[in-house]
Amino acid sequence: MKNVDLLLPLSIIIPALAGIFILLSKKESQGFWKSFTYIGFGFPLFSAIVLYSQFDETIHYNFKMKFLTGLEDFGITLHLGLNGISMPLFLMAGIVGFASGIYALQAKAERIRLYLFLLLIMQSGLMGVFSSIDIFFFYFFHEFALIPTFVMIGIWGGVGSRSTAMEMAIYLTLGALASLVGLLVIYTNSGMINHSFDFIALSHHLSNTPLETVLQQNIYGILLFGFGILVSLFPFHSWAPKSYSAAPTAAAMLHAGVLKKFGLYGIIQLISPLLTEGAAHWATILGWLALGNIVVIGLATISQTDLKQMVSYSSVMHMGYAFLGIASLNSIGTGGAVMLMFGHGLSVALLFLLTTCIYHRTDTFDMADMGGLASKAPVLSAFFITATMAGIGLPGFANFWGEFAVFIGIWGNESIQWMLYPAALGIVISAIYGLRAVAKVFYGQPSVNFQKHMEANTVRDLTTSEKIPALILIFSLLLAGFYPGFVSNLINRDIDGFKPDTIVEGIEQPATSVYLSHMESKNGQ
Amino acid sequence: MYTESTLLLGVLLTPLISAVVIALFLRKQGDIAAYLSCFSALAIACLSIQLFSIIPTGQEIYITIFKDYFQMGTFSFDLGFLINPDTLTLLFVVSFVGFWIHIFSLGYMRTDDGKARYFGGLSVFMFSMLGIVIADNLIMIFIFWELVGFSSYALISHYFKTEKAANASKKAFIVNRVGDLGFLIGIVITYWQFGTSNLLELQSIIGLEPSSTNWIIAALLMCGFIGKSAQFPLHVWLPDAMAGPTPVSALIHAATMVAAGIFFLIRIEFLFTPDVLNVIAWMGTLMAAYGGLCAITQSDIKKILAYSTLSQLGYMAAAFGLGYPGLALFHLATHAFFKGLLFLGSASVIHGCHHEQDIFKMGGLAKKMPFTTATFAIGIAALAGVNYLSGYYSKDSILVAAYAEHTMIFWILMGSALVTAFYMGRLFWIAFFGSPKSKNAKNAKESPFVMILPLLVLSILALFGGKVAMWPENLSMSFLSDYRLINGLSDSVLEDAYHQGHTLLKSIGTLAWIFGILGSLFFYGLGSKNDNLGIRMPSLFRFLDSKLLIDEFYLWYVKKVQQKLADFIHLMDLLLIGGLCVRGTAGFIGLLGYISRALHTGSIGAYVFWFASGLLLFWAYAIGIFS
Repeated sequence: MKNVDLLLPLSIIIPALAGIFILLSKKESQGFWKSFTYIGFGFPLFSAIVLYSQFDETIHYNFKMKFLTGLEDFGITLHLGLNGISMPLFLMAGIVGFASGIYALQAKAERIRLYLFLLLIMQSGLMGVFSSIDIFFFYFFHEFALIPTFVMIGIWGGVGSRSTAMEMAIYLTLGALASLVGLLVIYTNSGMINHSFDFIALSHHLSNTPLETVLQQNIYGILLFGFGILVSLFPFHSWAPKSYSAAPTAAAMLHAGVLKKFGLYGIIQLISPLLTEGAAHWATILGWLALGNIVVIGLATISQTDLKQMVSYSSVMHMGYAFLGIASLNSIGTGGAVMLMFGHGLSVALLFLLTTCIYHRTDTFDMADMGGLASKAPVLSAFFITATMAGIGLPGFANFWGEFAVFIGIWGNESIQWMLYPAALGIVISAIYGLRAVAKVFYGQPSVNFQKHMEANTVRDLTTSEKIPALILIFSLLLAGFYPGFVSNLINRDIDGFKPDTIVEGIEQPATSVYLSHMESKNGQ
Repeated sequence: MYTESTLLLGVLLTPLISAVVIALFLRKQGDIAAYLSCFSALAIACLSIQLFSIIPTGQEIYITIFKDYFQMGTFSFDLGFLINPDTLTLLFVVSFVGFWIHIFSLGYMRTDDGKARYFGGLSVFMFSMLGIVIADNLIMIFIFWELVGFSSYALISHYFKTEKAANASKKAFIVNRVGDLGFLIGIVITYWQFGTSNLLELQSIIGLEPSSTNWIIAALLMCGFIGKSAQFPLHVWLPDAMAGPTPVSALIHAATMVAAGIFFLIRIEFLFTPDVLNVIAWMGTLMAAYGGLCAITQSDIKKILAYSTLSQLGYMAAAFGLGYPGLALFHLATHAFFKGLLFLGSASVIHGCHHEQDIFKMGGLAKKMPFTTATFAIGIAALAGVNYLSGYYSKDSILVAAYAEHTMIFWILMGSALVTAFYMGRLFWIAFFGSPKSKNAKNAKESPFVMILPLLVLSILALFGGKVAMWPENLSMSFLSDYRLINGLSDSVLEDAYHQGHTLLKSIGTLAWIFGILGSLFFYGLGSKNDNLGIRMPSLFRFLDSKLLIDEFYLWYVKKVQQKLADFIHLMDLLLIGGLCVRGTAGFIGLLGYISRALHTGSIGAYVFWFASGLLLFWAYAIGIFS
């Protein structure tokens, strides 16, 4: 165990501890809880960057650590580590977390300490989700991060947010429960002598003795349903636009940006390699549903007049590409999906952040009541255009590489090849709603209502404390856009199965390589 | 090789660095930003000249600068440059014309608030455009292709306060994306079919096995060209794009970006099948006629030039489709010179007339703006194909080629040449002669030297750019063989076939421009106040002015079909999925809860009743009533 390995558990514990300190602190001691916010959000980002730089390409899971939990009889250990798929997402969680944290700090919400506490708990859970090798804790950390979201919507959401929070809670809990059932069925039916939730052990075992085909198909179906709800797969998406519109900004950034990727991450990292037959069985149906996300939700996005709703819908729409990548059943598409998750997390967080910045200047989310904001807030307008362009997949931003690889991947799977045509329509659809919003909000002359609002209030450009989180996100998007290898090399290393030069790790020979060769033989037929 | 790659990287990265520096540090220092951007354009021009001088004639150079730039599973692609005479020609056009338009902008945008934004945008454009020119694979071309689309969007929306610019920028980007949709799918299919997106590798694969091309790939890739080069039915964005600053129209929407579509076709010529080429030839021919006819009724000076650009792009497409990519490239180059000149001339006019763009409100500018008028006249003459000017050589070659290949296409193109001279003559006689028709025109004054100089330089090119002998040989290589063939200068067997009609064609061509220019003079008169065509032949005027109602059709589609469909789907999403399924399920469960709650009334009587009913049911089951 190297010292750097300690950063992984610390990046989970420190945000939670910082949150507790903040909650216990006095309201007056601003300096105290502010500095703890910086520590709580800064540390995960710091450790993510250090871990990224220390990542050893020759080892499958880096920074591995095991903690005994007393549940070993059930095969549950807190087993942490990062591979090439989780490392970029871990980094993304760090970046988005930090951006939303420092944004929340200046947002001046009521009961700010409780707000920051809940946000830090979310952050803690998020870092845990992507670093857990143990499936139980993977699930546990997700719930850990999910519950604060409900509370935050309930408390800080707008009018009618209680019922939205309730609907979201019930819907997402249903999704979570379905995935839990699926995961438990894998656990109980794995056929291991000592049942284990440890993914490495499970995948090793199941790659040698896979589950029965019918069982695989059924489990995969349940999991797809469960994870599908969590990722807002069409038609299980209706919670998402409502909840994001009601959610306070920082929570929306963390949920839409990072937490939502839990389901996709689960499918790509855990489920598809374990249930290869199941993945193949459901691919076509998944492709259809993903098209629903792209085309149906895409069109619904065009119809939005509320800016925040539009951003919410567009985030739902782009999940369709990630699902199509998974449905392509090849490493190009699946890797593209991971790349897209990285880019989408950053870009949607940026959009939610800027949308709120716009709200603070116009006092409305209704695009008809805006207009001409660019002359008052040129930097905000430049940032928003940047974010829109990133979101609609302009080259130069991370999202482009994800979408592009997904498109290439789709054509590689003959049974869903034709879906490339409707899926590519998405690039036009997203340009329509994205640019329309830009034109309505920033260009032209101010609307009558906005004119009145401007007379009563001074409308200023972005403040420094709003700029910094936005710049962090834009910089990360551009970095991965201009140098995609920054993210894609890691993903690529693991997406079609990590192949160590010498099989030192023996037992950890991953199932993914078996998965790929299996898929290739399937595609070949 | 080392020096070439350094030079190429220099060419590509200089404008990018300029753009980044402007965006980060010079947002409020418009003047410094402007000089930086011009300096970077100068540096590009110098580096390009250096590059021409070291690359031997006719050599093809390919350099991989970043292996496995993006790799995912079995897919990977490298960044690299492919330099051949075509590239050098376009590199020259972009860097040289681009530089002079930068200089011109110094004067034109002198008092503009968004100067830094403007020059930053120009630098982004130069970066993306040069990327298209030197890229060695389809994916790289696509990347820069999208980026030019973005810079075009940003520059069209420069005057974002006007509704016109806001809509035009949006329209340009979205329409381009429609084209890119096909382009993207085309790249994906090409990749899977040939296992590579590298142009040279594709060429060698197809060279070995010519039957491996198919029309689907060719047609899909053609979509990219249709969008970018504003061909039917995606031409609607270009006239609207005139809402941007006029130097931008000169650089992006006349000289370089729209021509990138033609260059792209030439780049991937080997992928085309005869039927798709045929489609391109006809599409180009019809666009040549359509653009010209639309230009006749326009009264906005920039719109006339915009439709003229559509028409000239049509000529290039026709040349390519007929199998003479060299001629397309040649016309692209001369067109960049004279259309760049004309747009800058119109910018000078607009600048002098205090942003008046209506030619019927101008008049008498020849006296007030002599330099502008003289250079504008040269531009018109070159465009109309006056003998021995640049447009004459390139357009005439295309006409000869058309005559040899397809009589029908030839006559349409010849007719369009007449129309070209006619609408340009109309513009010239109305705007520059007679008496001023508005206060703005009355107070017009000649533009400053910084704007006149680019006009002079470009008019020299417009005058002599068509003389093949004037071109350095490693550039003219790109079109020389086609040009020689057409003009009977080669030793080819085909020579006679072309040569026979040549003298006759030259006379017809000469007659066409004379008739066009003089005809417009007689028809419209000098400095006319009203559109005589509208007065004398109102129905013809209305027909031409309707432009086949294509814009109206799209507007109808967007408003009545797309928006309605989107609204309907949104409603269904809310009602059926969000309402019926989700809320409905919740409601059903709630109902069950409600019913079961109703059973617990708390009164003994009710419990006794339920108890008795249960007993009764149990008894009924026991004696077998239900079985």
